[in-house]
Amino acid sequence: MRFQKAAVAAVIAAGLALAGCGGGGGGNTGGAAKTAPSLVLGNIIPPQTFEARNLNWGNQSIYFQAVYDSLLKPSPNGKDVEANLATQWEYNADKTILTMKLREDVTFTDGTPFTAEVAAQNLLRFRDGTSPQRSKVVDMVNAAAKDKNTLEITLKQANPAFLIYLAQAAGMQESPAAFSKSDVQTNPVGSGPYTLNTGSTVVGTSYKFDKNPKYWNADAVKYDSLTINVYNDATSLLNALRGKQLDASAINDVSIIPQVKAAGFTDNGSSLNFAGLMLFDRAGQSNPALGKVEVRQAINYAVDRDAFLKAVGLGFGEVTGQVFREDSPAYDKSLNDKYKFDPAKAKDLLAKAGYPKGFELTIPTAPGFPKQMWPLLQQQLSDVGIKVSYVDVGQNIIPDLQSKKYGVSYFTLQRDANEWQLISNLLAPTATWNTFKYQDPKVDALIGKIRTAEGADRDAALKELNQYVVDQAWFAPWYTPTNFFVTNAKTKVELNQGNAWPNLWNITPKA
Amino acid sequence: MIAFIVRRLLTGLVLLAAITTFGFTLLYLGGGDIARKILGESADAQTVAQKSHELGLDRPVLAQYGDWVAHAFSGDFGSSWFTGQTVSAAIFSRLSVTLSLVIGTVLVVAVVSVVLGVLAATKRGWIDKVAQLLAILGHAIPGFLFAVGLVLFFALTLGWFDPTGYVPFTEDPTGWVKTVTLPVIALALGGIANVTQQIRGAVIDALRNDYVRTLRSHGIPERRVILKHVLRNAAGPALAVLAVIFVGLLGGAVIVEQVFAIPGLGQVAVQATTQGDIPLVMGLLVATGVIVIVFNLLVDLAQGWLNPKVRLS
Repeated sequence: MRFQKAAVAAVIAAGLALAGCGGGGGGNTGGAAKTAPSLVLGNIIPPQTFEARNLNWGNQSIYFQAVYDSLLKPSPNGKDVEANLATQWEYNADKTILTMKLREDVTFTDGTPFTAEVAAQNLLRFRDGTSPQRSKVVDMVNAAAKDKNTLEITLKQANPAFLIYLAQAAGMQESPAAFSKSDVQTNPVGSGPYTLNTGSTVVGTSYKFDKNPKYWNADAVKYDSLTINVYNDATSLLNALRGKQLDASAINDVSIIPQVKAAGFTDNGSSLNFAGLMLFDRAGQSNPALGKVEVRQAINYAVDRDAFLKAVGLGFGEVTGQVFREDSPAYDKSLNDKYKFDPAKAKDLLAKAGYPKGFELTIPTAPGFPKQMWPLLQQQLSDVGIKVSYVDVGQNIIPDLQSKKYGVSYFTLQRDANEWQLISNLLAPTATWNTFKYQDPKVDALIGKIRTAEGADRDAALKELNQYVVDQAWFAPWYTPTNFFVTNAKTKVELNQGNAWPNLWNITPKA
Repeated sequence: MIAFIVRRLLTGLVLLAAITTFGFTLLYLGGGDIARKILGESADAQTVAQKSHELGLDRPVLAQYGDWVAHAFSGDFGSSWFTGQTVSAAIFSRLSVTLSLVIGTVLVVAVVSVVLGVLAATKRGWIDKVAQLLAILGHAIPGFLFAVGLVLFFALTLGWFDPTGYVPFTEDPTGWVKTVTLPVIALALGGIANVTQQIRGAVIDALRNDYVRTLRSHGIPERRVILKHVLRNAAGPALAVLAVIFVGLLGGAVIVEQVFAIPGLGQVAVQATTQGDIPLVMGLLVATGVIVIVFNLLVDLAQGWLNPKVRLS
């Protein structure tokens, strides 16, 4: 009997110890004592893949900037690019051929040299892959090596944002030896400042990176190691920040900002997106009323933007009436007051459009949307006669919107710093977020002009486009929410106006 | 005995086939446009269609299921559609974390409940009242609220433990203790409340039996009567509850895992199911199914060892 007891105890103890041993490395998701300069970051999502041809951007960019080099570097202003693997570049006269001179001293961490031929392969693979960013390089007809370090990219037509794209996911360079490896999605081979430590990484939760000892730009690497922990819950992120387990972090819930500041962190804010009602159906295909510009304008007048900023954005942000950014030549401050809250005017416009008694409007709701907005929106639209009914579409919100099921939806969309990027994403007939692919001759003409114009001509066209889109009420923007990136006392950051995350090299130790 | 084990394992296989078929059907029906979910809001329609084709989602559901079964039989459960990690690696790297929590929790529940339940049943008085109060609190306080309270006090105020994260035992035993202690306590509270009551009631019942009076009349020390005879008879129901707790925690520790940002199975299971990550969810179904079947078999064997009457039935 004693032997039996001892055996049971031994089995339990062994089980517990073995369980704690952790296959696959487990990985400290924070808290370990730091013996060397290290950076621990908090993020709200993990990377979906490390395979260069299928990379995404936005909140995932930080992982890829750690292990890969891009052909160009994005400037913090979000509009310009800087040299990186490409040291010089120039377009031909009609901006359809881009020639780039590449560095000659770069090798991937597996020893494979970086050449123009490798860069061409990476670009073509990205164009033919399934990256969410793939649409940005559809204008690329070909990429070819002119010699060992000269790359030539041929475009169908001029694309004013193409250089920016080469500084993002599309420009990331992976070793060709890794293309066919079975673990290419989780074991990246690049030439970047760090290498992924797969033994200590827990995919989806915690990513550990070690300094690349042979990095060609060693002076730019400020930390010996980098850890990025993923928190999909605001409470755990707050606890990690309050417990001093992170040096810096993106914030997914602004309601925790006061507590984060109280814990000694600096709340660095930027304004990347706009929130509001997207009036996608400008031709009235799903609801004839939406085809009338007066109705779309009435929806703008019916909504009290200040109330939504307070109720939905918790006051973190600025009220807006347009989709272009404040630092854009397209921006016109007076447009923010064009549709000042005026229910009486909204009613007049509805009557003028032939809807004196209002109309019925179906709006989709989804789990990620702030719940507190629904009664407020319903009440304000109801006050002018628009009877709103909500449909919970669950996780299918994006597929449903893209398949034209709903003409109007609440959404938060990016206000790209590069105007062509914004046009390609929101306004062009082929834009992903022109879901009904609505086409307007005047918008088309202005976009055509912006594509090739420069200087004052371009600026004037941008301003006219913005004015026209606001006049035509393509959107009913409410406010621009503040995106927060918090840093502790030891860390400083230069925010990126073109992306949710700062560039990795712009997160540095305080002197 | 061997026939019993073989019969139970065969039943388990049938159960596993039923679970995976049912699971695949549910995932397929509720999946929606998975390629769009993977690629997010910025992808164009052409890329979404290409992704859908690449994953075989444009094929009939029976063909997709057939493929999964064929690959599963050869040990290939595919890769997660949302992280690219192989399903087996995703499960094994998290299984160890979850088992740390679950085994630790079951041990804490068993030890505390036995001590408290036996004392409450034999001593009665104030300790019985404490046990009753604990039972009420354990059922009344939600696990996540208790977890948040533990973090606030022991991690953020006193600084004794890490508020989030998990350190493998092999990497740093002290770090492991600092990261698993609070989650284990948070998970154990409800179980202690439940099992203590089971043991208390069973011990009180057992103490009323004739054999106890006989043992006492033979001068057997009270401690030996309780620990060797009464507790053994009272352990059956408690063991059954412990088995339920173990199985429930395998996938049900998700909220506590989330509060402590622990990379366990529960968290990944909820995330994979919400996203529609069919390969990963199917792998998780198989893994947890196998663990539950084997664990239940072990519990049945243990019940037989504790009580010969169960062996006969």
